Amino acid sequence: MDTTAERLGDGPLWLDVHGFPGPKKPGDGPRRDPVGNFPTGPEIGAVLPDIVAQNHDGEMLDVHAHRAGKPAAVVFFRSAVW
Amino acid sequence: MQLQSAHQELLDLGFELYAISYDEPDALADFAAAHGITYPLLSDPDSEVIRAFGILNTLIPPDDHPWFGIPFPGTYLIDADGVITDKFFDANLAIRFGPEQLLALARGEEALFEELEPVDAVQVDVWIEGRDMPPGIQRDVVARFRVPDGQHLYDDPVPEGLVAATIEIESAHGLIVFDEIRPSTHPLELGDGTSLSVYDGDVVIRRPVTQNGQAGERIDGTRMVMIRGTVRWQACDDDQCGLPQRQAFELTVPAGRIVIPDTGPAAGKAVPMNGDKHLERMRTRRGV
Repeated sequence: MDTTAERLGDGPLWLDVHGFPGPKKPGDGPRRDPVGNFPTGPEIGAVLPDIVAQNHDGEMLDVHAHRAGKPAAVVFFRSAVW
Repeated sequence: MQLQSAHQELLDLGFELYAISYDEPDALADFAAAHGITYPLLSDPDSEVIRAFGILNTLIPPDDHPWFGIPFPGTYLIDADGVITDKFFDANLAIRFGPEQLLALARGEEALFEELEPVDAVQVDVWIEGRDMPPGIQRDVVARFRVPDGQHLYDDPVPEGLVAATIEIESAHGLIVFDEIRPSTHPLELGDGTSLSVYDGDVVIRRPVTQNGQAGERIDGTRMVMIRGTVRWQACDDDQCGLPQRQAFELTVPAGRIVIPDTGPAAGKAVPMNGDKHLERMRTRRGV
């Protein structure tokens, strides 16, 4: 990971190599960015693995069953909290 | 969340949309209520799905709470059979693709040519997709080339003397420019054993851009990002080539804002969603 960092002015934010500010220093906490090749999961052409998880209403949802034969976009994101 | 703006259009195109993270269901419920999310947010608090996909961020040590358990963020697009047709990942975790690329794939670029009259010479229109340009969110600079029947444009690499169809964007403070997204080409055999990569007829080239929060300038109280560049192309038919062409463009778009957490430095300024409570539980839920 690239831990190059500088302060944004005199404030509490740190800039990464692309100049993105954040409260954590690059290389710390969730700002551990990969450098070079990193895993991106199943490849294009593969069937998307099963995803069965609770939805935000607390009910179990099976993506392949729920989409009922429709195409879909599936987004993995870091957090809705921080 | 950026995806919300695209949800209805994705539904209209026959696509479902899901987003998954290591957050608890009630944290996702607070987020959905605060930001009007209408698609399922899925909860993977033990990162089981994330691990099954092989995208756990292993640069984070297992005892680094609450951060351990997040994925390398990314998006998969699947067809009706569940087969992955495209995926989007970026090494800088602050960069997220915008919904425009998803919509373009779901819709098909040919939709950008509907109800347009045939042209006698190549006509190029350049615009930016996305109503704003918040930090880290990719938007697409789009160049639509309307090409007369019987003519074609070129993809790189081209031999000396020919000009490929490209979008060049001037570097500017805070502006981040990505590689072009180009459609597939057809080989054009030259008869001497060499072949060129050509676009048959109309073509759309996209160039994603984002900014790091420091691009642009304030105009009448609104931060605006300027994107300046040049589109180049050269059209040929089977017998002869026209002259190389160039067309400058200047796009101005409001910087906009991203959804920010209501915990940490932005506490009190963000839409409330019980962030402190959820973050505290994420720190302690693994028995520390």
